[in-house]
Amino acid sequence: MEEKEIFEKVKDAIVDALGVDDDEVKAESSLFDDLGAESLDLLDIVFRLEKTFGIKIPRGAIQLDILAAEGVKESDVLVDGAVTELGAKLLREHMSEVKPEKIKAGFRLDDIPTLFTVQTFVKMVKAQLAAK
Amino acid sequence: MRVGTDITEVGRIRELMNRHPEFRARVFTAQEIDYCESKRRPFEHYAARFSVKESVMKALGRGWLQGLEWTDIEVARRASGEPSIAAGGSLQAAMQQLGISRFVVSLSHCSTHATAVVIAL
Repeated sequence: MEEKEIFEKVKDAIVDALGVDDDEVKAESSLFDDLGAESLDLLDIVFRLEKTFGIKIPRGAIQLDILAAEGVKESDVLVDGAVTELGAKLLREHMSEVKPEKIKAGFRLDDIPTLFTVQTFVKMVKAQLAAK
Repeated sequence: MRVGTDITEVGRIRELMNRHPEFRARVFTAQEIDYCESKRRPFEHYAARFSVKESVMKALGRGWLQGLEWTDIEVARRASGEPSIAAGGSLQAAMQQLGISRFVVSLSHCSTHATAVVIAL
Protein backbone atom coordinates (compact mmCIF):
# COMPACT_ATOMS: atom_id res chain seq x y z
CA MET A 1 0.00 0.00 0.00
CA GLU A 2 1.32 3.43 -0.98
CA GLU A 3 2.13 5.89 1.81
CA LYS A 4 -0.39 8.37 0.38
CA GLU A 5 -3.16 5.79 0.67
CA ILE A 6 -2.08 4.93 4.23
CA PHE A 7 -2.09 8.64 5.09
CA GLU A 8 -5.64 9.11 3.75
CA LYS A 9 -6.93 6.17 5.80
CA VAL A 10 -5.09 7.32 8.93
CA LYS A 11 -6.52 10.79 8.38
CA ASP A 12 -10.06 9.36 8.10
CA ALA A 13 -9.58 7.45 11.36
CA ILE A 14 -8.36 10.58 13.14
CA VAL A 15 -11.16 12.78 11.73
CA ASP A 16 -13.75 10.25 12.91
CA ALA A 17 -12.15 9.66 16.32
CA LEU A 18 -11.55 13.30 17.20
CA GLY A 19 -14.44 14.91 15.35
CA VAL A 20 -12.07 17.41 13.72
CA ASP A 21 -12.37 18.84 10.22
CA ASP A 22 -10.71 17.03 7.35
CA ASP A 23 -8.52 20.01 6.44
CA GLU A 24 -7.19 20.33 10.01
CA VAL A 25 -5.44 16.96 9.76
CA LYS A 26 -2.02 17.30 8.15
CA ALA A 27 0.93 14.91 8.33
CA GLU A 28 2.74 17.26 10.73
CA SER A 29 -0.30 17.97 12.97
CA SER A 30 0.36 17.14 16.62
CA LEU A 31 -2.40 14.91 18.00
CA PHE A 32 -2.42 16.59 21.42
CA ASP A 33 -1.39 20.19 20.70
CA ASP A 34 -3.04 20.78 17.32
CA LEU A 35 -5.94 18.34 17.26
CA GLY A 36 -6.84 18.29 20.97
CA ALA A 37 -6.53 14.54 21.53
CA GLU A 38 -6.51 12.97 25.01
CA SER A 39 -5.03 9.61 25.98
CA LEU A 40 -8.34 7.76 25.47
CA ASP A 41 -8.49 9.17 21.94
CA LEU A 42 -5.17 7.49 21.15
CA LEU A 43 -6.68 4.14 22.10
CA ASP A 44 -9.68 4.91 19.91
CA ILE A 45 -7.39 5.77 16.97
CA VAL A 46 -5.27 2.65 17.50
CA PHE A 47 -8.36 0.41 17.51
CA ARG A 48 -9.65 2.10 14.35
CA LEU A 49 -6.31 1.68 12.57
CA GLU A 50 -6.05 -1.97 13.60
CA LYS A 51 -9.49 -2.57 12.12
CA THR A 52 -8.94 -0.53 8.96
CA PHE A 53 -5.58 -2.09 8.09
CA GLY A 54 -6.04 -5.55 9.65
CA ILE A 55 -2.93 -5.09 11.81
CA LYS A 56 -2.10 -5.13 15.51
CA ILE A 57 -0.02 -2.27 16.85
CA PRO A 58 2.20 -3.98 19.41
CA ARG A 59 2.61 -2.87 23.00
CA GLY A 60 5.93 -1.25 23.55
CA ALA A 61 6.17 -0.25 19.88
CA ILE A 62 8.08 2.96 20.49
CA GLN A 63 10.35 1.75 23.26
CA LEU A 64 11.28 -1.38 21.34
CA ASP A 65 12.09 0.70 18.29
CA ILE A 66 14.47 3.05 20.09
CA LEU A 67 16.12 0.08 21.75
CA ALA A 68 16.52 -1.70 18.45
CA ALA A 69 19.81 0.04 17.72
CA GLU A 70 22.55 -2.50 18.00
CA GLY A 71 24.22 -2.88 21.39
CA VAL A 72 21.90 -0.48 23.20
CA LYS A 73 20.68 -1.55 26.63
CA GLU A 74 17.64 -0.04 28.29
CA SER A 75 19.83 1.53 31.00
CA ASP A 76 21.79 3.37 28.25
CA VAL A 77 18.69 5.16 27.00
CA LEU A 78 16.42 5.37 30.03
CA VAL A 79 17.04 6.41 33.61
CA ASP A 80 14.13 6.60 36.05
CA GLY A 81 11.56 6.89 33.26
CA ALA A 82 13.38 9.69 31.44
CA VAL A 83 15.54 9.47 28.32
CA THR A 84 19.29 9.99 28.52
CA GLU A 85 21.29 12.03 25.95
CA LEU A 86 21.67 8.83 23.91
CA GLY A 87 17.99 8.00 24.37
CA ALA A 88 17.01 11.49 23.19
CA LYS A 89 19.26 11.15 20.15
CA LEU A 90 17.78 7.76 19.22
CA LEU A 91 14.25 9.01 19.85
CA ARG A 92 14.84 12.06 17.63
CA GLU A 93 16.12 9.75 14.90
CA HIS A 94 13.24 7.34 15.34
CA MET A 95 10.60 10.09 15.50
CA SER A 96 12.05 12.22 12.72
CA GLU A 97 8.55 13.57 12.06
CA VAL A 98 8.69 15.43 15.41
CA LYS A 99 10.43 18.78 15.78
CA PRO A 100 13.84 17.80 17.24
CA GLU A 101 13.79 20.57 19.86
CA LYS A 102 10.84 18.82 21.52
CA ILE A 103 13.01 15.81 22.45
CA LYS A 104 15.76 16.49 24.95
CA ALA A 105 17.51 14.44 27.61
CA GLY A 106 15.15 14.20 30.58
CA PHE A 107 12.06 13.82 28.40
CA ARG A 108 9.78 11.32 30.09
CA LEU A 109 9.01 8.06 28.34
CA ASP A 110 5.33 8.22 29.27
CA ASP A 111 5.09 11.65 27.62
CA ILE A 112 6.01 10.18 24.22
CA PRO A 113 2.35 10.08 23.11
CA THR A 114 2.27 13.89 23.47
CA LEU A 115 4.83 14.00 20.63
CA PHE A 116 2.66 12.01 18.25
CA THR A 117 1.83 13.57 14.92
CA VAL A 118 -0.41 12.16 12.20
CA GLN A 119 2.76 10.98 10.47
CA THR A 120 3.71 8.94 13.58
CA PHE A 121 0.64 6.79 13.02
CA VAL A 122 1.36 6.56 9.28
CA LYS A 123 4.83 5.23 10.13
CA MET A 124 3.44 2.77 12.73
CA VAL A 125 0.91 1.41 10.22
CA LYS A 126 3.52 1.21 7.47
CA ALA A 127 5.87 -0.77 9.74
CA GLN A 128 3.12 -3.21 10.75
CA LEU A 129 1.99 -3.68 7.13
CA ALA A 130 5.58 -4.39 6.11
CA ALA A 131 5.91 -6.94 8.93
CA LYS A 132 2.75 -8.79 7.88
CA MET B 1 7.64 6.85 46.33
CA ARG B 2 5.81 7.73 43.13
CA VAL B 3 2.33 9.10 42.56
CA GLY B 4 -0.07 8.93 39.62
CA THR B 5 -3.58 10.31 39.19
CA ASP B 6 -6.18 10.31 36.45
CA ILE B 7 -9.73 11.36 35.64
CA THR B 8 -11.90 9.58 33.05
CA GLU B 9 -15.24 10.54 31.50
CA VAL B 10 -17.73 7.70 31.99
CA GLY B 11 -19.45 8.61 28.68
CA ARG B 12 -16.19 8.28 26.73
CA ILE B 13 -15.58 4.80 28.14
CA ARG B 14 -19.14 3.78 27.27
CA GLU B 15 -18.77 5.17 23.75
CA LEU B 16 -15.40 3.45 23.18
CA MET B 17 -16.62 0.12 24.53
CA ASN B 18 -19.70 0.27 22.30
CA ARG B 19 -17.68 1.29 19.25
CA HIS B 20 -14.83 -1.20 19.74
CA PRO B 21 -16.10 -4.49 21.21
CA GLU B 22 -12.47 -5.63 21.57
CA PHE B 23 -11.76 -2.75 23.98
CA ARG B 24 -13.25 -4.67 26.93
CA ALA B 25 -10.97 -7.70 26.69
CA ARG B 26 -7.88 -5.74 25.62
CA VAL B 27 -8.09 -3.38 28.60
CA PHE B 28 -9.88 -5.28 31.39
CA THR B 29 -9.31 -8.73 32.91
CA ALA B 30 -12.07 -11.34 33.18
CA GLN B 31 -12.32 -10.61 36.93
CA GLU B 32 -12.69 -6.89 36.31
CA ILE B 33 -15.32 -7.49 33.63
CA ASP B 34 -17.28 -9.81 35.95
CA TYR B 35 -17.13 -7.24 38.73
CA CYS B 36 -18.21 -4.29 36.56
CA GLU B 37 -20.96 -6.25 34.81
CA SER B 38 -22.41 -7.24 38.18
CA LYS B 39 -23.04 -3.56 38.97
CA ARG B 40 -26.11 -1.53 38.11
CA ARG B 41 -23.99 1.14 36.36
CA PRO B 42 -21.12 -0.91 34.94
CA PHE B 43 -19.54 1.90 32.91
CA GLU B 44 -18.82 3.94 36.06
CA HIS B 45 -16.89 0.96 37.39
CA TYR B 46 -15.08 0.39 34.11
CA ALA B 47 -14.13 4.09 34.04
CA ALA B 48 -12.84 3.92 37.62
CA ARG B 49 -10.71 0.89 36.76
CA PHE B 50 -9.44 2.61 33.64
CA SER B 51 -8.42 5.60 35.79
CA VAL B 52 -6.54 3.31 38.17
CA LYS B 53 -4.67 1.71 35.27
CA GLU B 54 -3.74 5.13 33.86
CA SER B 55 -2.66 6.24 37.34
CA VAL B 56 -0.39 3.22 37.74
CA MET B 57 1.17 3.99 34.35
CA LYS B 58 1.69 7.62 35.35
CA ALA B 59 3.20 6.62 38.68
CA LEU B 60 5.65 4.31 36.94
CA GLY B 61 6.38 6.73 34.13
CA ARG B 62 5.56 4.30 31.37
CA GLY B 63 2.40 3.48 29.50
CA TRP B 64 0.72 1.08 27.12
CA LEU B 65 2.82 2.31 24.22
CA GLN B 66 5.98 1.61 26.20
CA GLY B 67 5.32 -1.99 27.04
CA LEU B 68 2.77 -2.16 29.87
CA GLU B 69 -0.24 -4.34 29.15
CA TRP B 70 -3.55 -2.93 30.36
CA THR B 71 -4.61 -6.37 31.58
CA ASP B 72 -1.41 -6.75 33.61
CA ILE B 73 -2.73 -3.97 35.86
CA GLU B 74 -5.74 -5.60 37.47
CA VAL B 75 -7.85 -3.70 39.96
CA ALA B 76 -8.69 -6.21 42.69
CA ARG B 77 -10.34 -5.76 46.07
CA ARG B 78 -9.17 -6.76 49.51
CA ALA B 79 -11.61 -8.46 51.90
CA SER B 80 -12.11 -5.01 53.48
CA GLY B 81 -13.35 -3.69 50.13
CA GLU B 82 -10.22 -1.55 49.68
CA PRO B 83 -9.03 -1.56 46.06
CA SER B 84 -5.63 -3.06 45.31
CA ILE B 85 -3.51 -3.93 42.29
CA ALA B 86 -2.88 -7.49 41.10
CA ALA B 87 0.24 -7.26 38.95
CA GLY B 88 0.65 -9.33 35.80
CA GLY B 89 3.87 -10.00 33.87
CA SER B 90 4.68 -6.63 32.29
CA LEU B 91 3.74 -4.72 35.45
CA GLN B 92 5.78 -7.06 37.66
CA ALA B 93 8.78 -6.50 35.38
CA ALA B 94 8.39 -2.71 35.56
CA MET B 95 7.97 -2.83 39.38
CA GLN B 96 11.11 -4.89 39.75
CA GLN B 97 13.06 -2.55 37.51
CA LEU B 98 11.91 0.53 39.43
CA GLY B 99 12.16 -1.00 42.92
CA ILE B 100 8.41 -0.79 43.56
CA SER B 101 6.99 -3.37 45.96
CA ARG B 102 3.34 -2.33 46.25
CA PHE B 103 0.66 0.20 45.38
CA VAL B 104 -1.85 2.11 47.47
CA VAL B 105 -4.99 2.84 45.48
CA SER B 106 -7.91 5.19 45.95
CA LEU B 107 -10.71 5.56 43.43
CA SER B 108 -14.00 7.36 43.19
CA HIS B 109 -16.77 7.76 40.63
CA CYS B 110 -20.11 9.38 39.92
CA SER B 111 -22.41 9.21 36.89
CA THR B 112 -20.15 11.42 34.74
CA HIS B 113 -16.55 10.95 35.89
CA ALA B 114 -14.23 8.50 37.61
CA THR B 115 -10.96 9.39 39.25
CA ALA B 116 -8.09 7.56 40.91
CA VAL B 117 -4.91 8.21 42.84
CA VAL B 118 -2.18 5.59 43.00
CA ILE B 119 0.90 5.69 45.21
CA ALA B 120 3.71 3.34 44.27
CA LEU B 121 5.92 2.34 47.21
